[in-house]
Amino acid sequence: MEQRNITSRLAGRDAVTGETPPDVRFIRVPSIAERKLGADYVAPMRLDPRVLDQMQSTIRTLETKYAEALSAQISMLQLLVEPSAKGDTEARSRLYSLSHDMRGLAGTFGFPLVGRFADSLCRYIEHCDDEDWRDGSVLRFHVDAIRDAIDNPGTDPAITMETLNALERLIKATRGNRKMAG
Amino acid sequence: MSNEPTRADADFFRRLKVLVVEDSAEMQRLLTALLASMGIGHVVVALDGERGLAAFHSECPDIIITDGAMTPMDGFEMTRRIRASGAGLAANPDVPILMISGHAGRENVAYARDQGVTDYLVKPLSAEMLYEAIVATVSRPVHFVETPDYRGPSPRRTLDARRAGN
Repeated sequence: MEQRNITSRLAGRDAVTGETPPDVRFIRVPSIAERKLGADYVAPMRLDPRVLDQMQSTIRTLETKYAEALSAQISMLQLLVEPSAKGDTEARSRLYSLSHDMRGLAGTFGFPLVGRFADSLCRYIEHCDDEDWRDGSVLRFHVDAIRDAIDNPGTDPAITMETLNALERLIKATRGNRKMAG
Repeated sequence: MSNEPTRADADFFRRLKVLVVEDSAEMQRLLTALLASMGIGHVVVALDGERGLAAFHSECPDIIITDGAMTPMDGFEMTRRIRASGAGLAANPDVPILMISGHAGRENVAYARDQGVTDYLVKPLSAEMLYEAIVATVSRPVHFVETPDYRGPSPRRTLDARRAGN
């Protein structure tokens, strides 16, 4: 492993212009391929389409299972809205956790619209205060949009964008109204 | 000896041990299945950052793939502790850490970089994105910064998040 005490462009803008403090070292760490294969490694490493095909086939295999699980999760979301609005913290936490999972996974398994609405819902919940939860209307609209996205997967993207914009406007309006009232 | 570039295939991946730190059962299933289909020889799963840290010390993985948001310890704190464990004593202080997160904002990516994350992948994950990130991680030498309390990729470098389709 090479060790040096000179500045490196890889260390960033500040490093090329300033003095390197004496207790900072820059180290070139060999790649994992170099370490594992030694002299047998010939860079640059080539992508192997067979590996990618295999990975994509794995995702397709998991898709059916996920579609079933997703449908059950959306039903659960619908059930969780009312108790969340009534102050049930366990229901709130579960609702967020489910929408967080949907945000992360739905797009991978061919449900990008579900992923986008779940993302909007997560971002809303991350800034929710108790009044937002008790109002519940924004939560309900999101959950309805998620349900609609799985029931009507061929929806025109323009309608989806309009729905997302409408949800955004609704969030601003409900929070704006509360500010005015408060 | 052949001068053909090395292929990122199952023969190579069989030699690797990957630690997956993830609290979502669905995401764990997806990641372990994808890594298995690449041919990765050994996948270890930990449910949160605290267990991930313990597995890092006991298993000496070649690569860590971690979620960002987890409790009680998240992936950022786990990364910070691994980089702070620095030279010498740690299991593999040079381990690359790939973070997969639903948070795509610049500030999240910058925060991950500052803790010592090597690469940042934004959900939803695609097969291409994961494969390309792992190949980039294993094939390129890295330039680390070492101070008394940090050893890892430079927190001052530019880190762009990977997204499906780019």
